[in-house]
Amino acid sequence: MLELHSISKSFPGVKALDNVSLAFKAGESHALVGENGAGKSTLIKIITGIYQPDGGKIVCNGETLHFRSYRDSLDKGIDIVSQEIQVIPESSIAENVMLDKMITYGRTGIINWRAVNAHARKYMDMVGLDLPPTAVIKGLSAAHKQLVQIAKALAAEAKFLMLDEPTSSLTEHEADNLFDILRRLRERGTTIVFVTHKFGEVFAVCDRVSVLRDGRHVGTRLTRDITAPDLVKLMIGRECSDEHLGALDVDRSKELLRAEHVTRRGKAADASFTLHEGEVLGFYGLVGAGRTELARLLIGEDGIDSGAVYVRGEKARIRGVADSLHRYRMGYVTENRKEEGLLLDAPVRTNITITIWRRIVNTLTRNISMAKEQEIAADMVRSLAIKTAGIEQKTADLSGGNQQKVSIAKWLAADCDILIIDEPTVGVDVGAKEQIHKLIWGLAKEGRMGIVLISSDMREIIKLASRILVFRDQRIVAELKDIDDGVKTYESVSAEIGRYLG
Amino acid sequence: MRDGKTDKSPTGFQRPELFSGRTMGLIISTGILMSVLAVQSPHSFISKDAMFFISRQTGLAALIALSQAVCLTVGGMNLSVGGIGSITTVVLGLSLQNWGVPPWLAVLMALSVGVAAGALNGLIITRLGIDSFIVTLSMMFVYMGLRSGISGGEPYEVSDSFGLIGRESVFGVSYIFLVVGAVLLASSYMYRCTMFGRHMLATGGNAEAARLSGIDTEKTIFRANVLSGLFASLAAVLYASRNLSAAPETGDAWLIISFAVAIIGGTGLQGGVVSALGIFMGATIFTLIEHGLVQFKAVPPAYMRSFLGGLILLAVIVDRTREIVAEKRKRQVPPAAG
Repeated sequence: MLELHSISKSFPGVKALDNVSLAFKAGESHALVGENGAGKSTLIKIITGIYQPDGGKIVCNGETLHFRSYRDSLDKGIDIVSQEIQVIPESSIAENVMLDKMITYGRTGIINWRAVNAHARKYMDMVGLDLPPTAVIKGLSAAHKQLVQIAKALAAEAKFLMLDEPTSSLTEHEADNLFDILRRLRERGTTIVFVTHKFGEVFAVCDRVSVLRDGRHVGTRLTRDITAPDLVKLMIGRECSDEHLGALDVDRSKELLRAEHVTRRGKAADASFTLHEGEVLGFYGLVGAGRTELARLLIGEDGIDSGAVYVRGEKARIRGVADSLHRYRMGYVTENRKEEGLLLDAPVRTNITITIWRRIVNTLTRNISMAKEQEIAADMVRSLAIKTAGIEQKTADLSGGNQQKVSIAKWLAADCDILIIDEPTVGVDVGAKEQIHKLIWGLAKEGRMGIVLISSDMREIIKLASRILVFRDQRIVAELKDIDDGVKTYESVSAEIGRYLG
Repeated sequence: MRDGKTDKSPTGFQRPELFSGRTMGLIISTGILMSVLAVQSPHSFISKDAMFFISRQTGLAALIALSQAVCLTVGGMNLSVGGIGSITTVVLGLSLQNWGVPPWLAVLMALSVGVAAGALNGLIITRLGIDSFIVTLSMMFVYMGLRSGISGGEPYEVSDSFGLIGRESVFGVSYIFLVVGAVLLASSYMYRCTMFGRHMLATGGNAEAARLSGIDTEKTIFRANVLSGLFASLAAVLYASRNLSAAPETGDAWLIISFAVAIIGGTGLQGGVVSALGIFMGATIFTLIEHGLVQFKAVPPAYMRSFLGGLILLAVIVDRTREIVAEKRKRQVPPAAG
C-alpha cells in the first residue's frame, strides 16, 4: 500500500537514513524497531511530510507522493499518534478528539456540541476512556492524555496509521484494549505501523517487523518466524537478557521507610508498607490505582489526612520535596522527566548538581564553586555512563535514556539512600533500558539503598523487584514476596499479579 | 559532532563567561552607536558634560531595568516598578520636608518602602498563587492613586546636601553611575555564582522541575520580588537626588523603560535567562539613542513613546530571528532520540 524506495536523508555530519526501502501492505500491522538514533523518527517524519528525503521516493497505491508539509500527508490519509503528549489542556476531551472535524450547524460555523460530544463518545468508548466527553484535559493523567490522542487518531479515520510508542503511559490492560482496536482497524483495511521498544507488543500485535540500525534497513521478518533474542540481535548486534539480575541482599533489620495507614481522600486509602535497606520494592497497578499518588504523599508533595510515615524508624513530618531531600535524604525521580524532572535548557552539570548547591556553597561569599560542581557532575557522568558530549552539553540534546540517567544522577549526587523511582524507562531504548535496570539493581545491591520502583512494565518490575505491592483503586491489595528467589518464573508471577487486578 | 559549549546564552548556569554571543552583539552595537554620534556631533557628545549626563541616565535606566529583570528571571513580572518608585518618592519627600528627618534616615525609610512593597507583591503571588501580572498591575494603580492623594500632586523639597550623589561626580563619572555599577556587579555575581541566583534561574527555567528537585520556589519568588522592590526604591532615591526634588510623578515612565532596557539587554521573557552586563549595555544603547534623538531633534518629544515601543519590538524581533535561525540550523542535525 505504501512503499519507500531507497529513501536517504542526511544532516550535516550525519547520515540519518541510508537507502532505506520498505513496503507496507494494506491491512497489515507492521512493527518498526530500532535503537535510539537508528533513524526511526526521521523515517516517520519523512512519511508524514515533516522532512523531505534527499533521495528516493514514497509511493502510495502506485502514486508517487510529494509532501511539503504535515497537512499534505493527512490529506492522503496518513496519520500519526506521536510519543509526545500533544493535547490542548484547557479544552474538553471531545474538543481534542474532534478537533479536525468539528460538527457545526450547517454553514453558520456555530458548533453543535451535542453532536461533537456524541461522536467523541464513540471514539472514547473504543479506547476505553471512561470519562465524560466534557471533562477538561488539564487534570488528566499522562495515560489518559495518551488515550485521548489515540481516540483522536481513530476519529481521523486514517488509512495509514503510525503509532510512536503509544503504550508508553498505558498499563497492560489498557494496552490490550488498544490492541483490540487496532486489530479491528486492520480488519477494515487500515495499515498500522507500530514504532515501539516493547517486544511483547511486537509479537502480540504485529504481522511483520522491520528493523532499522544505524540508518539502514537490516531486515524485515514475519513475527511468527523470529524470536525475541534474534530480534534484539538484529537491533543492536549483540545479545541482551531479560532475566532477573539475581537475588538482592535485603537487610530486614534496617528499616528505611515505613508507611502506616496512610490515607488521603481520593489518593490513598490505608496504605501500609515497609522498605528495607538493599531492597527494591515494586509498586504495580493500573493507571489511577494510586501508586504515584502514594509516592507524592510520601515525599510531602500532597498532605496526608491520617496515618504516619516513618523514616529510618523515626516519625517524619515531610513538608515537600525540599524537606524530603535535605532532611530525610529521600529522593523522587518523576515519571515526567521532560516537564518535571529536568531543566532542559540548562547544561547537564546544572541538572546533576541542582540538589546539592546548598552543600557546596561557601558560607561567606555565597559562591558556588564551579570546580566542585564540575567534579561532582563529571563523577556522576562517569559512574552512570551517561553519554554526553560533556557536562556543559544542553540537557535537551541528550537521548531519552541519558536524560533519565541525569534525572537519577542528581539524587545520587545528594547522597539519598531512599529513592522512589517512577516509570524510569518510558521512551527509552533497549540498550539504555538495560543499563538503567542494572543501575537501579546495583543501587540496591551494592549501594545499599532502598528503592521503591513504580512501573507499569510487568517485565521490568518482575526483573528488578524483590517484593511487589499490587495497587488497585488507591489501595494496596496484595504483596508478592521473594520475586528474586530464582525459583519463581515470570509467568507465575505475572499471572498472580493479574489475578489481583481483577 | 556537537561541542558541549554550544549555546553561549547569557544564563548564569554556563561557565562564568561574561561575554555571551548576544552580549557581544550589544557591545558592538554600542560601539557603533557611540562612534556615529561622536562623528555627527562631537561637541554635544564628546564632552565632559555629555559623558556625565549620559552616564547618569544610563545608570538610572539600568537600575530600573534590573528591578524588572529580577522578576522576569523567576518567571514573573513587576508592573508596579513605577508605582513603587512614586510611592517611595512620596515617603522620601514627606520625611525630608514634613517630618524633618535627617537624609540618611529618610533614605533608609524610602528603601524600606520598596522592600515592603516588594514583599507584599511576593506574598500575594506565592501564598495566594495569583499571577504576578494581575498582582503587580493592581498594585501599580494602588500606588498611583496613593501618591497623588497623599502628595496632592506637588513635589516635595529636599535639602541641597541630598543632591550629593545625584549631582556630583568623581573623575567625570557621576556617583549615580558608580552606585548602579556596584549594584550591577553584585547582581552579576549573584546570578553567576551564588545559590540564591541559581535558585532564581532554576525557578524561572522550569518551576516544576526546580521544586521537584528540592528548591523552595515560593521562597525564591518571594525574595526576587523583595529585591525588585528594593531596586525600584533605590532608583527613586537616586532620581530625587538628581532632580533635587521629590516629585510624585517619578516612576510614571518607568514601566516601559524597565521592559525596553531589560529586553534589549537580553533578559528572557519566559524566565531563567538574564545578564547584568547585558542590561548595562541595553541601558547604554537606550540612553545613547534617546540622547542622539534629542540632540538631532529627530523625534518630537510627543512621539517618544512610539519610539520606545518600536525599540522594544525591534529588540524582540531580533532575538526571535536569532532563535529561528539557530533552530533551523539545529533541525538539520537530527535529535538525539531517533
